[in-house]
Amino acid sequence: MADIGVLGGDPQDREALSGLLGEMGHLAYEAGRLEEALEVSRERRPRAWLLVDGAGVDAETLARELRRAFPLLPVMVALKTRDARRAVGLMRVGAAEVVAPPWTPVELKASVSKTLRFQGTALSPLRVAPRRRSGLLFALAVGAFFAFALTQAASRRAEKARAAAAAVTHAWDLPVSHPAGLAFDGESVWVVDWFSQSLYAHSTKDAALGEVRHLTAETPVSAHFAGDSVWTIGADGTVARRMRDAKLTVLQRWPGVARNPAGIVFDGLYLWTLDGRARRLYKRLPDPDLTVAGVYRVPGVKPVGLAYDGKTLWTLDAADRSLRRHNLDRPDEAVELVPLSVYGDGKEVPTGLAFDGTRFWTSAEPRKGGGPARLRRHPEALR
Amino acid sequence: MSHRAPGLIPALVRFPGAAARQDAWGRLLELTAGGAVLSTAAPLAKGEDLTLSFELAGEELRAVPAKVLHAEPDADGQTLADLRFTDELSRRELSRRLLDALARRL
Repeated sequence: MADIGVLGGDPQDREALSGLLGEMGHLAYEAGRLEEALEVSRERRPRAWLLVDGAGVDAETLARELRRAFPLLPVMVALKTRDARRAVGLMRVGAAEVVAPPWTPVELKASVSKTLRFQGTALSPLRVAPRRRSGLLFALAVGAFFAFALTQAASRRAEKARAAAAAVTHAWDLPVSHPAGLAFDGESVWVVDWFSQSLYAHSTKDAALGEVRHLTAETPVSAHFAGDSVWTIGADGTVARRMRDAKLTVLQRWPGVARNPAGIVFDGLYLWTLDGRARRLYKRLPDPDLTVAGVYRVPGVKPVGLAYDGKTLWTLDAADRSLRRHNLDRPDEAVELVPLSVYGDGKEVPTGLAFDGTRFWTSAEPRKGGGPARLRRHPEALR
Repeated sequence: MSHRAPGLIPALVRFPGAAARQDAWGRLLELTAGGAVLSTAAPLAKGEDLTLSFELAGEELRAVPAKVLHAEPDADGQTLADLRFTDELSRRELSRRLLDALARRL
């Protein structure tokens, strides 16, 4: 079951679609206008939106606006008039699925299912061999079916266990006491510890400690892995671009360019640095001067961590113990707020944030000292 | 060399006039220079001819002729079809654009 928003100008259309979604077991939130839809998105956080196109309502504009505000939220469109070109045009502006009229439970169910499931097109210049479906293959398939039937119960149990594990926040004590930042290199989560002036790689499975990199001449507070490079930022505001080798050899260094550094990420085009004290995000060109292309005020009280999920920026706030999502084009507006309930008791202070492609990781120190610093892997559903 | 696009590429599906069928639309789950895997709500049959129009890395490919090698219902009751592009020139053009797109990672 998923929460799905239904946006359309005609109450009858909304009612019809909400009814169909309800029959499928989904919970529908209706909105008559874009403003209402944005409000519902903020308050209810639906998994997807279903827009009605036609009868004076331009779903293309609505889809653009919704995706601008919530880039990761899938949008479906229900056409009131069948038009294949229109459908393709809507998909090109971001509609995940377009449902043709008349709206039937079968069509709608398929579209919702695909919307909540699909990834991107797999591209390859080489032609893949067509799927062969010979008699032998059929016999093998029958055999496989029975094998599948025998193992289905075990698979379900395993899936339940995996889902249960994915919904749990895991925490591990760290061997260091002053983690200031986190970074993900594609395999491991790296803890940036300012006190020991080192970076520690931890396994994403069990947080087992792997490699260690010492930056003895600096006091690193944050790092970000981007392609063949590693960006680091020190307590004195020095930004460095490094090779991903055993010594993290410096390729270029910009002394003192970022004040009160709390985070650094590279989105593939711009380098973003976070000024934790002034609550400012700096958008920089990766040119010889790290030219500042924009400065944005970060909502919140005490931002201490910065991460990039491939589409949007996220900041970690140590004061209200929550994550905020920011669009790249308007990062001064938080488009989503995710409270981190594990820090609700206030005994620990979050210090660093990273995203591993599926889940967020945070580091934290005990508020009054005396205990170990911790590394946490948050549930998949958090994002 | 392969890559996964940020989203599923939408495609306009058209049929020859003799088929007297309405235009349809779908998503490309896989795309190579030789063919594609299409997910669509339109029912398709093995051996059926159609054309695909879609955009790749900002460039439009119009009416690429294709034949349905195999079609079967997918888990949602819609159609999952293996398509083979039948026009050699289109295949070469698609190959060039795919290599270009993959080199630029879209």
